[in-house]
Formats: sequence, C-alpha cells, structure tokens
Amino acid sequence: MAEITGIYTASHTPVMLNFPDRIPAELKDEIFGAYKAMGDDFMSGKPDALIVLSNDHLHNFFLDNFPAYCIGCAESYESPIEHWLHAKRRVFAGDQAFGAYLLQEAYQADFDPSFSMEMVLDHGSLTPLELAGVDPDLPIVPVLINCVQPPMPTMRRSYALGQFLGRAIRAYEGVDRVAILATGGISHDIATPRMGMVNEEFDQTFLTLMEKGDIEGTLRYATDFVHTAGNGCEEIRMWMAAMGAADGAPFRRAYYRAVNDWYTGIGIGRFEV
Amino acid sequence: MANWQEMMPSTRAYLMNKVLYELHHKPDDLAAYKADAEAYLARFGLPQDLADCIRNNDVANMYLTGVNPYLLRAHCIGVRIPEDVSLAALRSLLTHEDYNNG
Repeated sequence: MAEITGIYTASHTPVMLNFPDRIPAELKDEIFGAYKAMGDDFMSGKPDALIVLSNDHLHNFFLDNFPAYCIGCAESYESPIEHWLHAKRRVFAGDQAFGAYLLQEAYQADFDPSFSMEMVLDHGSLTPLELAGVDPDLPIVPVLINCVQPPMPTMRRSYALGQFLGRAIRAYEGVDRVAILATGGISHDIATPRMGMVNEEFDQTFLTLMEKGDIEGTLRYATDFVHTAGNGCEEIRMWMAAMGAADGAPFRRAYYRAVNDWYTGIGIGRFEV
Repeated sequence: MANWQEMMPSTRAYLMNKVLYELHHKPDDLAAYKADAEAYLARFGLPQDLADCIRNNDVANMYLTGVNPYLLRAHCIGVRIPEDVSLAALRSLLTHEDYNNG
C-alpha cells in the first residue's frame, strides 16, 4: 500500500526557459524561487516514485492517432523532444512496472487510456521538473491528457481519472511513497490573438473555488469558463485530475501571478494530503 | 473569442498541421526547408495559399487556416520568427469585443 506524499499543481511554459528575460529579473527570480520551494517541499516527502500528470504538445502524438489519455510504460524517458527548447538534454528514469500496473488497473476500472513505451517528454513535463530541481533518477510515470487538440476529454472525466489514479496508487504495493505533480494552465493563450492577455479574474476565481474545497463548483467553472481563459487554460484538466486524486484533501495555493510577458498565469499549489 | 477555431480539424488545417509537424520532428526536414522552402513545401501538395503563408512567415494567415496553435507556436520559435513579430501579427486579428468574453 503506497502513501501519497504530496500532490502538487504548477503551470508550465517553454517561455520560462526560452525567453526568461522578457520579464524583470526580480519577478523571474521570484517565480523560479516558487518552483524551487515546491521542489524542496516535494523532496521533503521522500517519494520513491513520481506520477507526472501533464500533456503532450503535438510532439509524441499527431493527428494520425491522438489519445485522450496515455500512460507511459517505459524504462526511461528522454527530454526534451523540442529541438528549439533551451534545456539541457536529460534522461528521466521510468517506473515501468508502476506504469503497467496503472494501465491494467485503469482497464479494470472502465477507463481506456492508450500507453506508450516510446514517449519523449516535452517542456510540459520537463520545465516544472527542471525548475523544481527534481532528481532525474527519481522514477516517474507520465500520465498525459489531451488538452491541445479538440475534441478533448471533459473536465469531469479528467477528475474521475484522477480519482481512479488516487485509489490505484494507494493500493499499489510496488513502492512505499508516491508524489504527484500535475502541470499545466492556468489562464494562457498559445498563438492566438489573445496571447499575452492573461485572464487573472478567471485564475483567481478558479484558485479560490479550489481553496474552498468546492469540487462541484470547480468542475462547473472549469467547464463553463475555460473558453474565457485561453487554449492553454485547457490544461487545467491536469488540475482536475489532481483534485480527483486528492480525494477531498484541502488545496492551498503557494504562488500566483498573472505574467503577461510570459503569456501565462503562473500558479503553484498543493493538496494537503 | 473562443479558445479554438475548429472543434475538429478541417482538411486544410490538417494539411498545414502535417507540414509544421514534420518540419520540426523529422531529422532532416528543417535543413531541407531552410535550403529550399518551395521545394520542401511541394512535397506536401498543399493548396498554394497555404504554402505561401508558410513560406512568407505570415503568422496571421497561418492562424486563420485553423492550424493547431501549438504547432504554429513551435514553428514560430523553431524558424526563429522574432517573438514581437509573431505576437504583433496575432494581435492584429484581435477586435475589442473578442477579448475574454467567450
């Protein structure tokens, strides 16, 4: 039986690595400090394995075959896949047995994810791991959600997937301590006319609903208002999955700032599991 | 405005997506494109207007084809269209009533 040591949520954007100096140095340092603080908190839980809830940005998946959900079942994961990303090439250890377990349990629980033994992680996984200073030798299982190409799975289904993951992780006997990092969102537009116009009102309402523990209200708000907060905000499906895995544990925001020159609402938080 | 132009890719969007995807994922494609964009694009049998807006780095018109925004964004960075140029091209399509009202 595994213990969940922490469930973290954090935005990601390649701009942090490619164009970090588009914002003032003090602000950049403050944000990088917030990611590092998340990483320190995360490592203090001494996890043996990490579930990374993230999304592929049309690198591993294309319109020839695009899964709604995909569980990584590889021994290791190279990163980054983007030739243009300003990041050191790294290889993350994978927990193949854990991935295979989650996949098989998912089918038993009436979820139908695809799986991949060839996944190469993109900035969506790499950026927060890199900024948090997570040890690449800590074995990971990536769980990817389609947030980038409509039609996409619903917010509610992503929450339900997270509920399943929480139950399956807690029942797993292969490791003792597991952390979850859900990464994406919050308000941001990618390559649209609104790019760089973060909807802070959406983000504040969304974070407040989560802090109130209003799960139904959060799901409804995410579903009904995501269209006001940008195509990148569709990535809050990972936050919905984290909320499902948290099984009612309270959420606390650690950091929020609307950063227009990084085009993104930078939010970091954790569920007090 | 809505988050997406197309809730299911049209064939035109698919064709442009295919080019931008292969250009930045197949090992020799970016070099081939840089060496001779016209010859590279001819491989795909694109309608001429789509080929033209790719070759001309016409970010606004690429957006209007319904191309996947992540492929467009990666392309802008990958072929080094200056950040402020691609932003300005996109912003030129914004009308006031579009902003955050769905």
